[in-house]
Amino acid sequence: MAVVKAVTCPVCGCLCDDIELTIRNGKIVKVKNGCAMCESKFLSHKNEHRILKPLIRKNGEFVEVSLEEATRKAAEILTKANYPILYGWSSTSCEATRVGLELAEEIGGVIDNTAVVCHGPSILSIQDVGISSCTLGQIRHRADLVVYWGSNPWSAHPRHIERYTAFSEGRFQKSAWKGYLTKVKASAAKKKIESALRRVLFRKKAFVSPKPRKGPPPTLFKEGRKLIVVDVRKTRSAEISDCFLQVEPNKDYELLQALRALINEQEIDVDEVAGIPVEYLEEIADLMIGCNFGVLFFGVGLSMSKGKLRNVDAALSLVRDLNMRTKFVIMPMRGHFNVTGVDTVFTWQTGYPYAVDFSLGYPRYNPGETSVVDILLRGESDAALIVASDPVASFPKKVAEQLVKNPLIVIDPHMSATTRMADVVFPSAFVGIEASGTAYRMDHVPLPLKKVVNPPNGVLPDEEILKRILVEVKKLKEKRLVEAA
Amino acid sequence: MFKMINLYPLKKFRFPVIAECVSPDVFQGKNQKEIEELEIWEGNKQKRLGELFKVEETRKEQETIITVCGDVSKVRRIGAYMTSGEITINGDVGMHLGEEMEGGKITVHGNVGGWTGSMMKGGTIEIHGNASHYLGAPYRGSNRGMRGGKIIVYGNVGNEAGAYMRKGLIKIYGKAGQFAGSRMHNGTIHVQKDSEGRVGACMTGGKIVVEGFLESVLPTFTIESIKKKVKIEEKIVEGPFYLFLGDLTENGKGKLYVSKEKNPQLSSYEKLL
Amino acid sequence: MDIAIKDGKIVERVDELRARKIYASGMIVMPGGVDIHCHIAGSEVNTGRLLRPEDHFRDFERKTPKTRSGVGYSVPSTFTTGYRYARMGYTTIMNPSMPPLEAKHTHEELNDTPMVDKGTYPLLGDWWFVLEYLKKGEIEECARYVAWMITSTKGYAIKIVNPGGLEAWGSGGNVGSIDDQVPYFGITPREIVRGLCKVNKLLNLPHTIHVHTNNLGKPGNYLTALDTMKCVEDLASEDKPAIHITHCQFSAFKGSDWRTLKSGAEEIARYVNNHSHVTLDMGQVIFTDTTTMTADGPFQYTLHELSGNKWVNHDVETETSSGIVPFRYRRKSYVHAIQWSIGLELALLIKDPWKIFMTTDHPNAGPFIFYPRIMAWLMSRKAREAVLNRINRRARNRSLLPSIDRELGFYEIAIVTRAGQAKALGLKNKGHLGVGADADVAIYNVNPETIDPSRKYKTVRKAFRQAAYTVKGGETVAKNGEILKHVKGTTMWLDVQVSEPIKITEEMKRRFREYWTVEYENYPVTEKYLEVSHPITVKANV
Repeated sequence: MAVVKAVTCPVCGCLCDDIELTIRNGKIVKVKNGCAMCESKFLSHKNEHRILKPLIRKNGEFVEVSLEEATRKAAEILTKANYPILYGWSSTSCEATRVGLELAEEIGGVIDNTAVVCHGPSILSIQDVGISSCTLGQIRHRADLVVYWGSNPWSAHPRHIERYTAFSEGRFQKSAWKGYLTKVKASAAKKKIESALRRVLFRKKAFVSPKPRKGPPPTLFKEGRKLIVVDVRKTRSAEISDCFLQVEPNKDYELLQALRALINEQEIDVDEVAGIPVEYLEEIADLMIGCNFGVLFFGVGLSMSKGKLRNVDAALSLVRDLNMRTKFVIMPMRGHFNVTGVDTVFTWQTGYPYAVDFSLGYPRYNPGETSVVDILLRGESDAALIVASDPVASFPKKVAEQLVKNPLIVIDPHMSATTRMADVVFPSAFVGIEASGTAYRMDHVPLPLKKVVNPPNGVLPDEEILKRILVEVKKLKEKRLVEAA
Repeated sequence: MFKMINLYPLKKFRFPVIAECVSPDVFQGKNQKEIEELEIWEGNKQKRLGELFKVEETRKEQETIITVCGDVSKVRRIGAYMTSGEITINGDVGMHLGEEMEGGKITVHGNVGGWTGSMMKGGTIEIHGNASHYLGAPYRGSNRGMRGGKIIVYGNVGNEAGAYMRKGLIKIYGKAGQFAGSRMHNGTIHVQKDSEGRVGACMTGGKIVVEGFLESVLPTFTIESIKKKVKIEEKIVEGPFYLFLGDLTENGKGKLYVSKEKNPQLSSYEKLL
Repeated sequence: MDIAIKDGKIVERVDELRARKIYASGMIVMPGGVDIHCHIAGSEVNTGRLLRPEDHFRDFERKTPKTRSGVGYSVPSTFTTGYRYARMGYTTIMNPSMPPLEAKHTHEELNDTPMVDKGTYPLLGDWWFVLEYLKKGEIEECARYVAWMITSTKGYAIKIVNPGGLEAWGSGGNVGSIDDQVPYFGITPREIVRGLCKVNKLLNLPHTIHVHTNNLGKPGNYLTALDTMKCVEDLASEDKPAIHITHCQFSAFKGSDWRTLKSGAEEIARYVNNHSHVTLDMGQVIFTDTTTMTADGPFQYTLHELSGNKWVNHDVETETSSGIVPFRYRRKSYVHAIQWSIGLELALLIKDPWKIFMTTDHPNAGPFIFYPRIMAWLMSRKAREAVLNRINRRARNRSLLPSIDRELGFYEIAIVTRAGQAKALGLKNKGHLGVGADADVAIYNVNPETIDPSRKYKTVRKAFRQAAYTVKGGETVAKNGEILKHVKGTTMWLDVQVSEPIKITEEMKRRFREYWTVEYENYPVTEKYLEVSHPITVKANV
């Protein structure tokens, strides 16, 4: 039995690196420090529907083949294609992505990562306005105002609040954990009373909860760290916050712009924006200006709702404007554990973070034109390689249909919806569990991914599989050149 | 030696075709054979123009006129950088039509893709169908929007038409998507029908006229007055219009005219006047 | 005269019958170029790339059978960076600002930067450990931690940026002079610079401390630059430099505001001419559109306010900050024209070419591809006049350049572009063609015996733009602008050996966890991150 310390968790963009794993007989038997998502990933990776042998579809059926045969088949598909796409990447290592980029260049394909369906719009806005940001430790040490906008860390990034923000203990800022405990106790008591009342009154309409408060709650003016949540519905994160702003669906842009005007001390003609009275917003604006160090985290609730990139544009501009008055930073809540790393590798090799088109022999970038979802929507691609992603399950139906219409190669540890539709399948090792590598946290801090157990026999890491395909592609191209000559 | 060249696509394209060479400036002084030899990309394969299009040389003209007949909705960058001459397209056409164009005229009898007239400096683009997103808008990350010329669309347009515009005119006879004229500095956008909203977001100057329905004006615009009419390039458009100024977030002095008649829901602003 | 090369080194002689020969008669043969300060890799550079698609979409390089594709202009992608340096005959480059926490990123990019040997400097001037030990006066303990840090991040030198100012910027503040207190830590920039200068000496590092001064980019800051140089005067020994002031142009502003801005080059040059403990590099302004990026967060914010351009800020916990702002230097702008003049004035007024080196602080004052232009300006009064005639008139009237006749010769150019830089960096095998040197050679197609660079500066400029041959480690890697071979190049780093290294106790790990948000075990850059690792062992006196 062995205990491995300081393991990086390959689940979400938080990339917690304090996980302790107990390993017995080549199996992970205990996970310490991790959240529920982390535990389930480490404990169940072996039990999922693993594929153990490369597969090729022959006459409509999967047939187990040798790695060499699968590699040759994949290389043939990719070299023949006129406009192949290479998609996924956010759940694999930077090292694998590096090889993927060379492969994309070699075959003149379009390479794109999952940013295109989550924070791609955020990147476009960063390219328009820039971004005032920092690493997460800076927030832990200094932030006295934490805002989550359109993101629900309690569920999607479970340790974010305790490790990096409101409940973490920093050098210049103390944890707001205690206040939260009091609050939870109070709310638990309130719930008990409510349910008791309901029981007594036989669920009649006797208990009317008070109308939503139209002004800021008193907790907003407490000492110490404050937590504000802005969302279209009351999430778990909203429940623990000091102040919850409920924005009308698809009105984030208006709300953000109104806040910008207010912090620039402009008068607003209307009385209410996005369902919130302007006087209330003035209080919020004052609070933002008055803090010593504020931070705004935003999720796909902002980048994928109506207005998309322009919502983020407004949020970035708001934070930029706030820096005239105080210190303020902003950060997207990245989902997949290495989506930040993949953007980073794309950028250093090609100059662009996602949606890179090599069809003319050099990198071109224009999301909307060179992004995989749009390419599929227009039916332009004629082959695809998917790495560590399940687009058939996550893309809109029409897009997914287009994907499976053409030759499809999948590199994945398990039998996903996409794998099931593939023509060539390479089983791969779980990076961060069965293979090592590097991943970047949502704040661009690179962290090592550890190999803690061996992959199933004969199963290779993504990086190795891609390298083999690349070698085969080069061989094929050379052969064709010789034949042509 | 100017002439008229007709291009006929030889097939229905499936892969993106990058055809920067289809421009009067490039064709000028070249004979049919030379035009057929021009470089063009289909997907990741480099081809000759003649492999994808039938090239037909007709009569002599005052200037180089190119006519494209057929569906070229996958063909991108036609007329990019053009400075003179004419292109007429009978059919739908792909993205980046007339990108960074400086002069001449492009007429499309069909729909156009995104980034039509992107970063254009002069000339005219006339579209008889619909236009997609980013009409006249700049490339990603750039703030150099349209700096001159005229874009006329008889159909509807997508989002962010005229973003970062600095000069020139965009006239839309149909409806406009969200964020028309976002971050514009100067120039004019005229929408004859409805707009999806967020018009003039972050604009600092220039003029936007919406003659149709506009559900709401951004909260960061402030009502200035009611105008009977508005002048667009020597022409008078009869109102009355609500005149809003904005965008406050950028200390903007942009003018947003919204039809009073079509927008009774905005009447609450009148009490502020 | 022949130069013999064998196994990547310059040797006494080789078997002439068997050797491959390059006929370079009538050409200039120099050691490969050395760049002491250019931002080419790591978090801020990459964010600069991400920020500016509009900067590179027109300037691209297609894939060839031998090279990878990429994009260029002010922040080129990694492969393109390597190729473009190699085409100019450069073979060694130093990436000057690496946030230690993000060191892995820098090294991953350096691995993908081909054709050149490279090194990188960790940012240590605002690191909490440094501030705390210096405050307590524990220089030796501080030195042990710095040694640990340099080795752990695979760094090459101590980089100090706006000492104290970056820690203050973490909460939105800054420091205004070298004697301002850093909030909370109760230490001054002077104490930080002096402390790290002593540490540098205790550790026997090959390069001096590499300093970006306080108040950078502010009118009147030439006094801060002078103060910074003076504050380590007594720490210098045996005529050896003790401090390198980088991109000095940005720290040589006289005047009380932008309107009254003047050049402080004369004063700085006078000081440097009279002292031997300072080296400088130019940070020469090029009139073009570029991307500014430094660890100096507050300076970048000011630049954003001045220009209204998009702005990126990235503060790094317990260590440093950084900022990025696109910027265009315009000939007709008074301030920019004065800045252009200051860089050249410094290079020409400082008499000893071994003290001032040619840089643009790429890409801050301009992209490195413009080096040949600067060489021409340094070599030809006529070239300078051609620009002077086209700049802002008020700036022209105030420029000292018309009063300077000095024109550098080819020999001096070789010093300011390679020999001097290599010497300042303590790179014994670079910057010269003596026996034992690395076989990094640049051959330029210009005949010094027939071409007068003063008059024919355009010819010279053209020759420097594209080396006839670039030889890296004994292999011809570029010829007349064509890359013949994609070679990796090494990453040089210091393995600093102290007699009593710091102990990694549980207590230390706890402190680590308190300061940073990562575990101690995951912090260091292991050697496997370096594709071609070149450790240089340094024996410290502590």
